[in-house]
Amino acid sequence: MPIDSRIFVFFGANVLLFYLAQLVNNSLSALGLYLLFLGPMIVMPGLYLRLRSAFICILLTGLWIDAACPVPFGLFTLTFLGAGTLTGMLRHRLRPRQSYHPYILTHLFNAGCIFILTISKGLGNYFALELWIQTIITLTISSLCLIFLAPWFFRFQRMLIELFQLDPEPEDLPIR
Amino acid sequence: MAKLRLERLKPLVALAAFLFLWWILPAGVKSFTRLTFAEFHAPAWLVTAKIDQLSEFWVARNHSKIDLLETGRDLARTNARYQVMAQRYQSLQEEITRLENLLTLPPQREYHHEIARVIRRDLNVWWQHLLIRKGRDYQIPVGAAVIFSGGVVGRVVEVYAYTSRVELITSPRFRMAASFEGDSRPVVYQGRIQSGFVSPRGEVSDVPQDLLTTSRNPLNLISTHLGGTFPAGLKIGTVPWLAPGSTGIFQTGAVELDERLHALKEVTVLIPLISNEFNRDAN
Repeated sequence: MPIDSRIFVFFGANVLLFYLAQLVNNSLSALGLYLLFLGPMIVMPGLYLRLRSAFICILLTGLWIDAACPVPFGLFTLTFLGAGTLTGMLRHRLRPRQSYHPYILTHLFNAGCIFILTISKGLGNYFALELWIQTIITLTISSLCLIFLAPWFFRFQRMLIELFQLDPEPEDLPIR
Repeated sequence: MAKLRLERLKPLVALAAFLFLWWILPAGVKSFTRLTFAEFHAPAWLVTAKIDQLSEFWVARNHSKIDLLETGRDLARTNARYQVMAQRYQSLQEEITRLENLLTLPPQREYHHEIARVIRRDLNVWWQHLLIRKGRDYQIPVGAAVIFSGGVVGRVVEVYAYTSRVELITSPRFRMAASFEGDSRPVVYQGRIQSGFVSPRGEVSDVPQDLLTTSRNPLNLISTHLGGTFPAGLKIGTVPWLAPGSTGIFQTGAVELDERLHALKEVTVLIPLISNEFNRDAN
């Protein structure tokens, strides 16, 4: 079975989103604010691609993020694959288009990533109030930005698929 | 029906298989993969830094000739002052060498100063890191001290081909030996989780009971040579208050750091020369 070309489109879009978020964070550093947009990266590959292709796309994205962040290598790879598996198992119940499902998943996955990051990097500081206050601030601001960013990002990914004349429909789904 | 149910479990089986593979994968392979992916990041940030530099250049080009003349005059004055200071530094250095020879003291650690541009600031509740535009291409070693005009910035934690990652002194995982100005007894400085919209802060512990400080006349915390990374006398921050620690033997307190730490554009990496000489000897 040949590899689905949409893997590269989704992976490229994820890399671009991560790079843009890092640029924004670079500018916000003096204010002490930070934005984390990892949720949208998992949703579209999980909903649009077959299991094998989605797995490759999410694996590449996870490795890319892991290499860019000072976290134990594999943290995001395994988290993303876990989230991708969940999406894969639920995909027959979810509508990738004209519904709120992708947006709800985005917010859930993003919150999950922030929580796992806090658990992983906050070791020894769990009782520090500042850790949780800052985590909640980051989560709130990121979620507020995601309300506007996620629709744009999903439209951007669909536009890229159409631009490269690839199949714009999700693979192997009973509901379209 | 049973086939359909098994089909739904396929993602879970794939994840379990991957987890097992990841678990048995040797650490060397993981490290190689991480490095490979990390090196792919560098070009994007280098291009961004170059574009920033170009935009700064075009902004500077828009300044009038009068501005440039005034800046040139100011720079000439600064240069003259630094020339006098360089002569003074030279004479003091000779005096130190003479005294070292006289007292047969071991030579002080010397550093090569490598100025590097900050290309990315990655500051959040989980980590406080900078990415600088020099790496193995400039022989930056892991663990090298990083400073700026306001004092200590942090320590190099990862070195790539063209970039390096610096852990800031505000990072909760950063610890170093320090002392107060005018007091040689060592204390411990540690970074802490930063709050938004306030100036950067750290913590000091193991402070002797007899030291007193006030917010009007705060004590200056400086680096010592004890840790082996930083040269002595570099400013870390000021300590406006001290309180009894949990043991009751020593005091602890907050350290107010330089506000420019979170908006740095250029830093200096101190590359130890003695270690290089040792390495050369070993080779």
